Amino acid sequence: MSEHLLLYILFAPFAGALALIFVPNSRPLLVRSVAVVSSFVSLVASIYLFYAYDAGRGGFQFVQKFPWSTELGIALHLGVDGIGVPLVLASAILLFAGVFVSWHITDRTKEFYIWLLILAAATIGVFMSLDLFFLYFFYEMSVIPMYLLLGMWGSHTKKYLEMTDPEGLKLRDSVGFIFNFGANSKEYAAMKLVLFLSAFAVVALMGILLIYKYAGLNTFDILVLREQAHLMNIPVLGTTLDKIIWILVFFGFASIAPIWPLHSWSPVGHAAAPAATSMLHAGVLMKLGHFSIIRVAFEILPETTRELMPIAAVLCVFSIIYGGLVAFYANDTKYVIGYSSSSHMGYVFLGMAALNYISLSGAVIYMFAHAMATGMLFAMAGWVYDQTHTRDLPSLGGLSNKMPFIAGCFVVGCMASIGMPGTVNFIAEIMIIVGSWNKYPLQVIVAVLGIVLTLAYLFNMMRAVFYGPMSQKYSHTRDAVATVDRLPLLVMIAVSIGFGLFPVRLYDVVRSGVDPLVAKITYVMPVAKNDEGTDGGRDDRAKASATIPLSGTADVSRPPVTYALRDSQ
Amino acid sequence: MTFDLTLSAADLLLLLPEIFLTCWLCVVLIVDFSCPRLPHTRLAHLSVGGLAITLLGLAWFDVTGVSGTLFNNMFVLDRMAIFFKMFVVGSTALVILTSMQYVNRFTFFRGEYYFLVTMSALGMMFMVSANDLLSLFVSIEFSTLGFYILVGYLREDLTSNEAGLKFFVLGVFAAGLLAYGISLVYGETGKLVFSDMTPPATPGAMIGFLLIFAALGFKIGAVPFHSWIPDTYHGAPTPVTAFLSIAPKGAAFAILIRLFLVVLAAFKPVWVLLLVAVSILSMTYGNIVAIAQRNIKRLLAYSGIAQVGNVLIGLAAGTKMGSDAILFYLLTYLFANIGAFAVVIAVGQAIGSEEIDDYSGLNRRSPFLAFAMLLFLLSLAGVPPLAGFIGKLYIFIAAVREGLYTLIVVGLINIVISMYYYLVVVKKMYINEPIDPSPVSVSGPMKAVVYIGLAGTLAIGIYPQPVIEWVVNATLMFSHVMGPAAGVVPSPSPFGG
Repeated sequence: MSEHLLLYILFAPFAGALALIFVPNSRPLLVRSVAVVSSFVSLVASIYLFYAYDAGRGGFQFVQKFPWSTELGIALHLGVDGIGVPLVLASAILLFAGVFVSWHITDRTKEFYIWLLILAAATIGVFMSLDLFFLYFFYEMSVIPMYLLLGMWGSHTKKYLEMTDPEGLKLRDSVGFIFNFGANSKEYAAMKLVLFLSAFAVVALMGILLIYKYAGLNTFDILVLREQAHLMNIPVLGTTLDKIIWILVFFGFASIAPIWPLHSWSPVGHAAAPAATSMLHAGVLMKLGHFSIIRVAFEILPETTRELMPIAAVLCVFSIIYGGLVAFYANDTKYVIGYSSSSHMGYVFLGMAALNYISLSGAVIYMFAHAMATGMLFAMAGWVYDQTHTRDLPSLGGLSNKMPFIAGCFVVGCMASIGMPGTVNFIAEIMIIVGSWNKYPLQVIVAVLGIVLTLAYLFNMMRAVFYGPMSQKYSHTRDAVATVDRLPLLVMIAVSIGFGLFPVRLYDVVRSGVDPLVAKITYVMPVAKNDEGTDGGRDDRAKASATIPLSGTADVSRPPVTYALRDSQ
Repeated sequence: MTFDLTLSAADLLLLLPEIFLTCWLCVVLIVDFSCPRLPHTRLAHLSVGGLAITLLGLAWFDVTGVSGTLFNNMFVLDRMAIFFKMFVVGSTALVILTSMQYVNRFTFFRGEYYFLVTMSALGMMFMVSANDLLSLFVSIEFSTLGFYILVGYLREDLTSNEAGLKFFVLGVFAAGLLAYGISLVYGETGKLVFSDMTPPATPGAMIGFLLIFAALGFKIGAVPFHSWIPDTYHGAPTPVTAFLSIAPKGAAFAILIRLFLVVLAAFKPVWVLLLVAVSILSMTYGNIVAIAQRNIKRLLAYSGIAQVGNVLIGLAAGTKMGSDAILFYLLTYLFANIGAFAVVIAVGQAIGSEEIDDYSGLNRRSPFLAFAMLLFLLSLAGVPPLAGFIGKLYIFIAAVREGLYTLIVVGLINIVISMYYYLVVVKKMYINEPIDPSPVSVSGPMKAVVYIGLAGTLAIGIYPQPVIEWVVNATLMFSHVMGPAAGVVPSPSPFGG
């Protein structure tokens, strides 16, 4: 069973989507059951994967390789390392939770679950691809389901709903002009998301094609390319090729992350999406960016990564502060969480930029932790929206009387999002902060201020939604009482707190993936193409010895953090 | 020059598909004349049957590796010719299946419709085997003759008449260019057969080849020879539009591949510039103008112009892999485009409109048609896991190996642009609510075509290896002409670093 484990995780949702095509829409319960079963298979398999992964051995495990096209050098090459495992698990958990969160969708239920399952399966596919082609294949495949999920089951902002055209007709009712996009309508959000992601995906594709061409190996296999591709020191357009490829790959994938100047599609998309889609979007889709950068840029171009990763360190500051400030001033529940997500993704970039064992492990754990925290928040924002049909903060209030369970969970969600001790977010944040301090003290200070900002806007939102006077029109709202409504929240809370209290397994798995990568990036020196004899060699050795103290400090700093983790239990 | 026109029985075997189809055409025509009360769908079945038998025969040729030349190299049957013949015959059969309901709109000559469609297909079968300037000219005009009539088949419809006139005038003009180009080339080289020709670098020969390229550019609808496309596609009966958008493009690309990779192989550094320019213009113009379209047929017309630009990237690569990619891409285009047109015809039958606005809420009216259209449009846009994505990637890989970075960058940007207008249609179908929520029904043959399109689009997208092997084997003869990145003249790689 275990050698095909990745196939079960990946194809269970696809199989579910396929099976749903043959289920009539008139039997919604059967539709939901199929979705539950397929996501449950995926979840169980990925839990097994998480515990069966041999962290002591490390490397890529459960590897599957099926030739797909020999002429183009493509194989369906699947495998997970310590970075992929937690993200696969997070995707499976969020898919399982998402199926329950969308339990009350009655309009075209079948189509909804088909696209949701395809979306989740595609993201899972990215996390286990060891082939550049399939990485891009699944990456691009996740975009179109987003469009349909946003467009068909999404919601408009208040601003859009109140807009009228010159004839005084409500804009949403006016049919006619082909564009028919009002500002911040769901159609606008969906189209913006797709165009943004496609535009930057093709940027990354250009980088991938350049890797393919200049490696000259007629293969897209990441494991082969990282060993055998020599992309260094090829002069192109006044710089070197590896830098161009790195920039293309980095910004191509960072747009989905989303890094600061390329983020504007993301909060709009979050806000318009139905709850389960926002969960998957913020929870795992955004991590595709970080993950693909790690998989492509870090693995294949380690030297260039070391040289250029400070770009991310600069941009992450803007991500954190800008996202946090907008979230603070936003008046829409989902905008607050959306901007908070893009702000929090800055922490991951900070951890990636510092490039040592602690900070990069922290970044990976942060991705996992953030998936749970933001999943909870979006699920609850979705519940509130379903009950009140508004996302407008000023018109909400006092709902804690009506929905005590949701309000209670919301507190936990806020705590997790802020990174309170006891949640896995705390461990991730502390690792990023401690790990990055030596290299980027300024950014760390900003990151800590960002936590304060998070506290401010989330508590502000909590107060605006759940406390204060309640408008009479919300007297009909109800709490999440049924098991199907409570289950997803409880699952995510359990995971978040469980790993917060017992992080050792997660930490070991992540370290087993991060260690070889960081070792490679910090030790490997550029291979000089024109070897000028003994001088060049001596120079190389000198450089190599110069890097050792740096990574030495990273190693030295390992024990204190481990103690910190133990303290938190 | 003497022509050896003696034929042996073994030689006739090479012509067997054409001979068979010619006889079958006569049968169709005779049946039509002799049984005037026969419902025209019977004739459709008859034509499709004949095409299916031809297709099987061609498949048998492909498997057994029948090949050879006839009439002093005027007619060549190699695996590429077989591929394109199957392409033409297959698309014709699908077009006839989509026409069966539509033909009821014609007041007269319903039976001849099938005859004309099949006759054009026959002409295109000769076209893909043309290995000589004369057979090229004759076969192109033979196939276009049927189209001149078909485009204007809706006699009472003014737009159809306009389309027919426009197509005829510009088509005849293109024929003139072609004839003039052939005369110049013949004057300079003294040869007619492609493989014997060693064109000199004289202005006369160059102008001649440019004129031939212009005429073929007219057939494929590449910018700047595209001006007939939107109005003709818009006005022609929809099945004819579908036919026009697929089969002649395939046939013309067969000739273009032979022309550029065989005759003009030594001039690659020169024609690369030409093809790069035409390709960039086609992609960009087609995609940008498609954004403003409100009629689905016009939208598909402009998207077709852009798709041709994509295919030209493969031709600009000028390698065996480039020609593989062209074949592959055309096949993915066949399934997606015939499927999209089948949906357009089905919706047009049901609601009597081809405006994009009237596609509002199609998902609620016919989930099957909306889903099929979604997949076809996304395949045209190049979204995985659909065939179009693999086709685009194949073309880009072929081009990146030749270092055509400018083309790839423009091609990638155009993918994003095209995504917009395809998604506008998707938005209408899926997100907007229907004005009239009555369900849309689909007839049997139409359903079959949509299913074939879906099967092709999904199967090639998910596991393309068998098709890739097929196209790789189909162009084996070019691996001797020039291997990857080993042109006769070293590529100067003027585009990027």
